[in-house]
Amino acid sequence: MPLLDQSLVDSVIKRALRSGADFVELFVERKRNQSISVEESKVQRVSSGNDLGAGLRIIHQGTVSYVYTEDLSEDGLLKTADLAAQVGRRGGGRFAFGDLSGAPHAPQRIEVAPETVGADAKIELLLEADQAAREVSGAVRQVAVGYGQSSQEVLVATSEGVRHADVRTRVRLMIHAVAERNGEIQTAMEAPGLQRGFEFFDETSAAEYARAAAERATALLDAAPSPAGPMAVVVGNEFGGVLFHEACGHGLEADFVGKGSTVFVGKIGQPVASPIVTAVDDGTLPSRWGTLAVDDEGVPTRRNVLIQDGVLVSYMYDRLRAGQQNHPVTGNGRRQSYQHLPIPRMTNTFIAAGAHSVEDIIAATPRGLYAKKLGAGQVDVTSGDFVFAVTEGYLIEGGRIGRPVRGATIVGNGPRALYKIDMVGNDLKLAPGTCGKEGQGVPVSVGQPTIRISELTVGGTGVGPGGAMRQ
Amino acid sequence: MNSIGDRVLDRSRQLGAEDAELYISRGTEFTVRIYNGEIESLVSAESRGVGLRTFLEHRVGFSYTSDTEPDALDALVDEALLNGRYNHADEANVLPATEMAGAVAGLASPALEQTEPQRKIDFALEMERRATSLDPRVRRVSDAVYSDGSGQVEIYNSRGLHATYERTVAYGVLETIAEQDSEMQSGFAFTHGRDIGELDLEAVVQEAVENAAGLLGARPVPTARVPVVLHPHAAAMILGVLSSSFSADAVIKRRSLLAGKIGEQVAAGIVTITDDALLPQGLASRPFDGEGVPSRRNELIVDGVLTSYLHNTYTAVRTNGRSTGSAVRSYRNVPEVGVSNLVLKPGDISREMLLAGVDNGLHVSQLTGLNTVNPVSGEFSLGLTGHWIENGRLTKPVKELTVAGNVIALLRNVVAVANDLRFIFAGGFCGSPTVLIEELPVGGL
Repeated sequence: MPLLDQSLVDSVIKRALRSGADFVELFVERKRNQSISVEESKVQRVSSGNDLGAGLRIIHQGTVSYVYTEDLSEDGLLKTADLAAQVGRRGGGRFAFGDLSGAPHAPQRIEVAPETVGADAKIELLLEADQAAREVSGAVRQVAVGYGQSSQEVLVATSEGVRHADVRTRVRLMIHAVAERNGEIQTAMEAPGLQRGFEFFDETSAAEYARAAAERATALLDAAPSPAGPMAVVVGNEFGGVLFHEACGHGLEADFVGKGSTVFVGKIGQPVASPIVTAVDDGTLPSRWGTLAVDDEGVPTRRNVLIQDGVLVSYMYDRLRAGQQNHPVTGNGRRQSYQHLPIPRMTNTFIAAGAHSVEDIIAATPRGLYAKKLGAGQVDVTSGDFVFAVTEGYLIEGGRIGRPVRGATIVGNGPRALYKIDMVGNDLKLAPGTCGKEGQGVPVSVGQPTIRISELTVGGTGVGPGGAMRQ
Repeated sequence: MNSIGDRVLDRSRQLGAEDAELYISRGTEFTVRIYNGEIESLVSAESRGVGLRTFLEHRVGFSYTSDTEPDALDALVDEALLNGRYNHADEANVLPATEMAGAVAGLASPALEQTEPQRKIDFALEMERRATSLDPRVRRVSDAVYSDGSGQVEIYNSRGLHATYERTVAYGVLETIAEQDSEMQSGFAFTHGRDIGELDLEAVVQEAVENAAGLLGARPVPTARVPVVLHPHAAAMILGVLSSSFSADAVIKRRSLLAGKIGEQVAAGIVTITDDALLPQGLASRPFDGEGVPSRRNELIVDGVLTSYLHNTYTAVRTNGRSTGSAVRSYRNVPEVGVSNLVLKPGDISREMLLAGVDNGLHVSQLTGLNTVNPVSGEFSLGLTGHWIENGRLTKPVKELTVAGNVIALLRNVVAVANDLRFIFAGGFCGSPTVLIEELPVGGL
């Protein structure tokens, strides 16, 4: 069933154009989701939701106005078109908008639509995972496991006559384990997910991920507080890519670039990183968390090389910024929902694989921190300063992985850290995440192989017996 | 709207639900974003959605929809009941006893609706204009936004509850860029109120400019253990991290730092923390919570002693306690336990007097990475920017530093609290004055 009748789409756009707008775009979205959580080994909650709405964007001489509604009746939409036309008549600037180009890709192939699978099968998976985690050690005190699925259908229709649609189906597992010994508490989580149907679980063992989380939480009980100070940091693959995403990726988004609020402004064609660094944003990768057939402006996604051998090649654009900055579109115009304006966003962003094995990298490091898994982080896009939690970390001593450490954070400056990457591994992997910007959360992948940064500041509680800081 | 409530509750009953509760939310939004003296974008909208909980044999079912066509409302009931069948039965799954809440004065400003859009646009334009003319090092603004909205909440349940309230909010957000040599620093500030008339244009401009320019030339400093002064915003961010530990749900699930500590001295004697959903200036104030339970003022830590957790109806029944009116939710979620306006009680001394007591220490204006704090162990290691304090005065700016510790140890080591209470959104609406911590390890060069 189409989201909206073609004739209604046409009449809404026509109505909004009556105000003399240069451009009108209708975005219609239906998103169905289901989530299941198991806590205390019991089914705590099965819940489901249905989001349906439309957003209408109008551009009058460079000024963007946006109106959204949940009322998709003919009356409701035409009223919305009138309102959009009314709030929109304020423009004074030049209108330029990136051209749509290329044919849309097909939506990701889904074999078993998750909504056709009963809750029983999903609950069974979760209970198995819960049990697997609890069997890891007597120290495991709490396990929370969750399942989430969503199916987002979008339609983008513009006054240029474009009519593109996409369906994004995602399934994800979330496991959170808490281990406790002698009053000491440690936690660990795993959250694999893909744009797949329920067949995702043919290849993904929920129990295995659960064991991994429980084992890590238990192992952390033996970890010593992390030492603090500057040192070499080996950042693990997969979610370690969050460091590049946050500390550099955002700085390559064309809205920040257009406002001159990132250090990458005016650096196209110039070196911005160590020559062993190549970084890519690719919205076409099969089944990945941030993959799109077309972005939320109807632009087909593509593979965009951002940094090639250390040289800055491209920023990431939505149609508005592409037009303003006279650049071809890149398929990075995204929005959280019909309630939001599209802005430049990343899709699947990663540092490309290099030559070294992880073993080589560790062996070449006399002393440092192996930040095998990173957790949450924060970054100031303007300065590029970042801080990230290390959720699984080890000391590196004499080229070997030493004792586990807890409570470490790494602090530094993204653009400067890019120059300090002196080894790139061959074990590229991607991980799903939700990226937040201007209050909008969108699904993305982050990723990288194992990399070494020659020096970063490590923060930790590493206070020795005498109360002095240990270096 | 009555027809929606009746239709949903009737169908729930017909299909066998013993109890049902419908949460209806409607809102308006107006947002204008300015760049370079022109409107960059303007958003204007009305929005709505409904969430339904059904109760059958102590199993709760939940579903929500933003589609309020009759078919969609029927499907909402069917889905909630179906979802409920899978959930485990728990006798604590009940609706609260129906109690009428009193009104809270001043939550909604009638002026909001009557304000001309042009005045709102002018406010944002003026923020940008003034911000670029105050300091020669600040010539650009990366974000100047005026936004307001009204929200109406209605709760119907099968125990005869029909309660409603309306709330308005307006705010201005400003982010400036300061430049010197090849260095760039950004400075953020915001102003908030119930309508545009309550916004402080001059203060938000001054703060955003000072925050950016004040950081120019910031450098790391050597690792040390020193007294640390937290700016009200930084202290309020830490309150926000602590907020989830007051939840009785987190206590039950052993995810609280404060589990098992009622009656214990968990903080220094000068620390008193309340969660007050009736606070007149609180943007999270409301007459009743997400289940319709009347709001109240909850004392959580009094003179350093933990006196209470926060409860919704479920955690109250499960622990033989009483709901503290702390169910928080949107129509997309079931009522969880959460804070409203969480406040660290101000002391008697001024910020200047507090600073005067520090000979050599660190003033923290901004903490980064608060989302990295382990909410279960309380361990943190955060990035920070701020200034060094020498003889009671802020001197050189510092950055790329980390400060590490434990939230509970931090509370125990509070040695002074000033009287300059300020609020930010950090989970709830969190308010704190300037706070002095005896000593913390600061990692730098």
